[in-house]
Amino acid sequence: MSVNSENTKAQMRKGVLELCILSILSKGDAYPTEIIDKLKETKLVVVEGTLYPLLTRLKNTGLLAYRWEESTSGPPRKYYKLTEIGEQYLKEVQHSWFELVDIVNKTIEQQKN
Amino acid sequence: MNKTVTINISGIIFHIEEDAFDKLSKYLSTIKGYFSKTDGGNEIMSDIEARIAEMLQGKTSAVKQVVLMADVDTVIDTMGKPEEFGEGHDVQEEEETENFTANENVKKRLFRDPDNKAIGGICSGVAAYFDVDIVWIRLAMFLLIFFGGVSLWVYIILWIVIPEAKTTAEKLAMRGEKIDINNISKTVKEEAEQLKQRAKKYGQDIKNNSQDFRNDSRNFFDKLADFIKDFLIIFSKFFARIIGLFLLIFGVIFMLGLMSSIFGFSIAGTNTEFNDWVNIFFMERSHYTLGLLGVTLFFGIPFIMMIYGGVKLLFKIHYSNRWLNISAGLVWFIGFIIVAFVGIKTGKDFSESGKVKEPIGVTLNRDTIYLKLKKSEELYQQLNLNEEDIDEYNEDGDRIRRHKRHSDYIVARSKNKKLIVGYATLNILPSSTDNFELYVIKKARGEDKRMAVERAKVIKYNVTQKDSSICFDEIFTVGSEEKFRVQSIQVILKVPRGKVIHLDKSLDGFIYDVENVHNTYDGDMVDRRWIMNVNGLECIDCDGIEFDHEHKIPSPPAPPAPVNVHTEDAKVNIDRNGIHVNSNETNVHIHDQGIHIDTRGSKGDKKEK
Repeated sequence: MSVNSENTKAQMRKGVLELCILSILSKGDAYPTEIIDKLKETKLVVVEGTLYPLLTRLKNTGLLAYRWEESTSGPPRKYYKLTEIGEQYLKEVQHSWFELVDIVNKTIEQQKN
Repeated sequence: MNKTVTINISGIIFHIEEDAFDKLSKYLSTIKGYFSKTDGGNEIMSDIEARIAEMLQGKTSAVKQVVLMADVDTVIDTMGKPEEFGEGHDVQEEEETENFTANENVKKRLFRDPDNKAIGGICSGVAAYFDVDIVWIRLAMFLLIFFGGVSLWVYIILWIVIPEAKTTAEKLAMRGEKIDINNISKTVKEEAEQLKQRAKKYGQDIKNNSQDFRNDSRNFFDKLADFIKDFLIIFSKFFARIIGLFLLIFGVIFMLGLMSSIFGFSIAGTNTEFNDWVNIFFMERSHYTLGLLGVTLFFGIPFIMMIYGGVKLLFKIHYSNRWLNISAGLVWFIGFIIVAFVGIKTGKDFSESGKVKEPIGVTLNRDTIYLKLKKSEELYQQLNLNEEDIDEYNEDGDRIRRHKRHSDYIVARSKNKKLIVGYATLNILPSSTDNFELYVIKKARGEDKRMAVERAKVIKYNVTQKDSSICFDEIFTVGSEEKFRVQSIQVILKVPRGKVIHLDKSLDGFIYDVENVHNTYDGDMVDRRWIMNVNGLECIDCDGIEFDHEHKIPSPPAPPAPVNVHTEDAKVNIDRNGIHVNSNETNVHIHDQGIHIDTRGSKGDKKEK
C-alpha cells in the first residue's frame, strides 16, 4: 500500500512545514528562494508553489513580517523575518514538537520490544 | 523562425515564444483562479510571479534572450500545479472546494469526477454537468439495467469517452457555469452571432479589395479561403451538437435492437427445437456460436462508435483515444472476418444442387390404378416419432395438426433418434411407353455436385404397391446426422395412354401442379378418375360437376389447313393471317385490319382500306 504511505508522508510534511519555516527564519531573515533552497535539502517541499500561500498566511496571522530589498540580478526580494509573536510561537511549538517526537519515539520503541 | 511576445513579470521584461507564452499565461490564470477567494490572494500571486521571474531570469542570458517552451515547463514543474499547493495547509483545501462551486464563469465541460466516484465517477460527473443530485443519475442508471442492460454498456462507453477531471482547472470546468435552456440558447446565439460577424467582415473585405482587386487578387483568394474555412468551422460547431444528439439517440436505439436480438438468440439456445435446427443447418455447432459473435461485433462496434462519437460531439469532448479507434476498427474487422468465414462455409455447402432419379419397379396390369397416400401421422407411428412435432399452434394458441406445406421441414424426435422430415410431392405425366413408370427424384444441395448427389441418395422415401393400388408416403426422412440441405422428393408417375387412374381424397395437397385437359386445380382433381388420352389427363366422372377453380377456356375450333397455291406468276396463301395474293406486279393482302394493295412498278404505292 505505497499509496497510503505516500499520503501519510505528505500529511506529516504538511504538519511540520510551518515549524520548519519558522525555524529557518529564526536563524536570520530570508527571502522565499533561500527558504526553498533550505527546505529542498530536507525534501520537505515537493513543489515551490506550496510555500507562498503558507508564508502569506503566517504573515497575516502576525508571526512574520517582511521588508523589500533591491536585488542586483532580478526583481526586488521580499525578506521575511520573525516577529516577536513569531518567536514566542516558535518556542512553544518547538517545545511541543520535541515532546511529541519523544512520545512518538517511545511509543514506537515500546511496540518493537 | 518563431514569433516572440514581450511580457513583463514582476517588472522584468522577457521575450517569450508565443506558444510558451500561451502556456504560461494559462498556468498563471489557473493559479489566480485558485487563489481568487483566498485571503491575500493577490499577494500570493505577486510572490509567485516574482519567483517565476527570478527563475526565468536564470534561464535567459545575453546569448539566449528568449524564454522557450522548455523553460516554461521547468518553471511549472518546479512551482507545481495549484492542487498540489493545497498540501501546504488545511485551510486552503477547504477554500479549494469552495472555489469549485463558487466559480461560475468557467465554461462547463463533462468530466469524470474522481472525488465522488462509486465506480468510475461517471454518474457524479454527469450529475455535476447537469447540476442535478447524483442520486437521480445513479437511480436512472440502475433502472436502465433492466432495459436490456443499457446502462451497463452506456457506462462503459462513457467511461472510455469522458476524461477524468485531473487538474484543478478541469475540476473547475466540471462544475462550471450551469447548463440550462438559457445557457444553451445563449451559446447558440453566440455561435450564430459569430457567423454573422464573419460574413459581415468578409463583405467589407470584398468591398475594400474590389477597389484594388487587380493588385491584390492573391490576397482576395486567401481571404476567401480563410472565410470558407472559418465558416465551415463555425457551421460545424453549430451543428455538431445536433448531429451528436442524433448519433447518440440512434446509436442507443440500434444497440438496444442488437442487444434484444442477441438476448432472443440466447433464450432460443435453450430451446431444443431451435438447437436441432442449429445443428442440422450449420456445418458445426461452433459455426453458429462463432456466427453469433461475428454478427454482434460486426454490428455492435459501429453502433458503439455512433454512441461514442455522439457523446463526444454533444459534450464537446476533444480528447480522443487513438488506441481505442484502432482497436475498435480491429475488432470490427475481426467480426467481419468471422461473419464472412461462417457465411462462406455455410453458404458454400448450399451452393451446388444435385439430384438422383430412382426408378421404382411397378407391375400394373390393370386398366384402373388406385393412388393413395400414407399420411404422416401413420408414418410417425410407424417410425416411433413424437407426433406432437407435427403439431403447431394456431393464432388462438391452440395446438393443431400442422397443415402440410411443400418445402416445409420438421425435426421430428423419438426416444433415441432425430429425423429431418420433409413433405414429398407427386406429379402425373403421360408415359411414352405402354407401361406405367414410377420415379422418385431426390434432390439435395452440397458444396459440389458429388456431395449433393450423395446427400440426395440417403433420403429415405417409400412407395408401396398392392395389387392395383399404389400407396405413397406423405413424408420423406433424413437422418439427423445429415445436415439440412434443402432435400426434396418429387414422385413422378407416368401413365400410358388409355389407362385410368383414381386419385384418392387423401392425395389432396400431395399432387402438385398436375396438368390436365380441364385446367383443373390440384385440389379439385382428387376423389375422381382420370384417363390419359392424347391431350393429357381427362376426367371420367366429372360430368355435371362444377369445379371450384375451373378455368374454362373455350378451345378454339381447329383451324382448317392452310391453302397454298403456287404458280409461275402468282402465289396464293390462305392461312390464319389472312389471304395473300402475290403476283409479279401486285400484292394483295386481306386481313382483319383491312385490305392492303401494293402496286409495284407504278408511280407510287396505293393504299386502300
